[in-house]
Amino acid sequence: MNPATLKRIGLGGITGNPIAFAVVLALMALLLAIPLTHNGYIELVFRNILMYAAMAYGWNLIGGYTGYVSFGNVAFFGIGAYCSAILATHGVDNLLLYVLLAMAVSAVFAAIVGFPVLRLKGHYFAIATLGVALAVTDIIANLDALGGTGGLALHQVDEAHFSIYYYAMWLVALGSMLGTYFIARSKLGYAFVAIRENEDAAAVLGISATRYKIVAWTIGAMMAGAAGAVFAPANGFIDPSITFAIDSNVFPIAMTILGGIGTVAGPFIGALLLAGANELLQRFFVKAHTLFFGAMIVLIVLLLPRGLVWLFGLRGGARAWLKSLSVYKA
Amino acid sequence: MHLIAQDLVNGILAGGILAVVALGFSLVWGIMNIINLAHGAFIMLGAYTTYQLFTSFHVDPFLSLPVSFVLLFALGYLIQRFIMNWVARAPVLTTFLLTFGLSLLIVNIALNVWTGDTRGVTTAYSGANFTLGDVTVPWAKLFTLLAALAITGVMQLWLTRSRTGRAIRATSMDIGAAQLSGVRVTEIYAIVFGLGAGLAGVAGTLISLSYALNPSMGDLFLVKAFVVCVLGGLGSVPGALVGGLVYGIVEAFATQIDVTVGGQHISGSGLQDAIALVVLLIVLIVRPTGIMGKATA
Repeated sequence: MNPATLKRIGLGGITGNPIAFAVVLALMALLLAIPLTHNGYIELVFRNILMYAAMAYGWNLIGGYTGYVSFGNVAFFGIGAYCSAILATHGVDNLLLYVLLAMAVSAVFAAIVGFPVLRLKGHYFAIATLGVALAVTDIIANLDALGGTGGLALHQVDEAHFSIYYYAMWLVALGSMLGTYFIARSKLGYAFVAIRENEDAAAVLGISATRYKIVAWTIGAMMAGAAGAVFAPANGFIDPSITFAIDSNVFPIAMTILGGIGTVAGPFIGALLLAGANELLQRFFVKAHTLFFGAMIVLIVLLLPRGLVWLFGLRGGARAWLKSLSVYKA
Repeated sequence: MHLIAQDLVNGILAGGILAVVALGFSLVWGIMNIINLAHGAFIMLGAYTTYQLFTSFHVDPFLSLPVSFVLLFALGYLIQRFIMNWVARAPVLTTFLLTFGLSLLIVNIALNVWTGDTRGVTTAYSGANFTLGDVTVPWAKLFTLLAALAITGVMQLWLTRSRTGRAIRATSMDIGAAQLSGVRVTEIYAIVFGLGAGLAGVAGTLISLSYALNPSMGDLFLVKAFVVCVLGGLGSVPGALVGGLVYGIVEAFATQIDVTVGGQHISGSGLQDAIALVVLLIVLIVRPTGIMGKATA
């Protein structure tokens, strides 16, 4: 559906529903207070939510706005984490430098890899990006200089200042969110959506598809890279299996789809719900929590196939919702 | 020389299994446009079916092939008919997420039924092998390859010759035109998804002969299925076979790499995935629709 149609049926413009975005901004402001009232476990849970949100925003730019479904964004998260680790092992102890280096390296890597990979379309693009992620994982696991499979330990700040990692992750998430908002409203955002809706038509209108796809992919990579750069020192230790975990690859995609694909509020709402629910289920059902988690995803997809954000703009109440369910039925 | 021949044989033997692993995944993706993340879970269920029949009733793993197929076909058919059908026309990412949820669900049920312990199916002929010149060939893997070839052949014949097979191919070409010609699309979709699951079950049975079993074993094979089916050409039966063999051979040769460059020791056994995926990237860039794929996709 194109942005004009979405707006007409009450589902917001290119940035999604404005009420949903306002709610998300308010929630972000509330999250700022978490370290003041809670520390330790709760702070960790919310830091993870912010981390997943930043990664989901990174994926949303290429997968949601541009319509190129990537399974390789975890590579940028991992590269970001390893940038921090390399700086840390060389005695650099500055979170801002970590993030800046991670963003630069992720961007350069994304641009180089994007050139051949973004020529592929649809399924072939998806599989090639998965290949990139797995190849990067394998290569890092085999480089002795990066600790191989043994991983690397990072120096952490003392306990009294530990919340700095939380605030850093909060800033990364906020930056990704606002970045998405302003990019979506700019010429870039409209070019991305044009490519998603019809790449050939976009090309006819003078949009250089390759260039804009690489821009979307590269900016998304910087968001994931920044999240990785904060994750590494916050976690204190990284190895290939932690930084390139399947969860870090699938979760951000699942969160974006659950929240609402191609919207500004969706990735955050999805991250809050999915990561939050995962933590709660883990606390109450030690053995079967993933079972309930899986069931929850199945139910949400069946009941809200367009993502949670759509609820904000839904006109016509329960009847309209029930009617909308059968649209996708074969 | 002897090593090269042995690698080639190992690669072909492993490739046969990969072909069956990818076949069902490729059909579901190519025909229904569903990236079925539960495929790995179906493979695992097939393997455990064989394990259970073998340990409880001493059924030979090869005899449990039809049982795995029928059980998994039924499961896949029901899942498509009563769950997936609700979002059959949704964008590909919706069904992608749905199958992710289903996969978590199935793997965790398996975890509660069979626990996380690693298990194996050890038959009287498990360790048996014969030598051909310098090359050692395990019997179990050879039979697995033959079974894989037979299954691929039967699938190809069925899809091209039978009435249902033709209806399936018609649906994948043009869903509207197929419907107008009297094809019941809901039914065809359920059959294809059942078929995909059934083939995963068969793959699981074949895998159980040479690999260890645990509830999360499917993940590894899911990634390989992804690569193999794109390598060979999406939705193509011969493509899955060619893709599987190519992947198997490349991987087998990759394990032999063993060099030291500037103090950094590079061993192929840790890099086999990376090497196989670089091959995939090259194939995709040269032939973006896969080895056996058609010009327009």
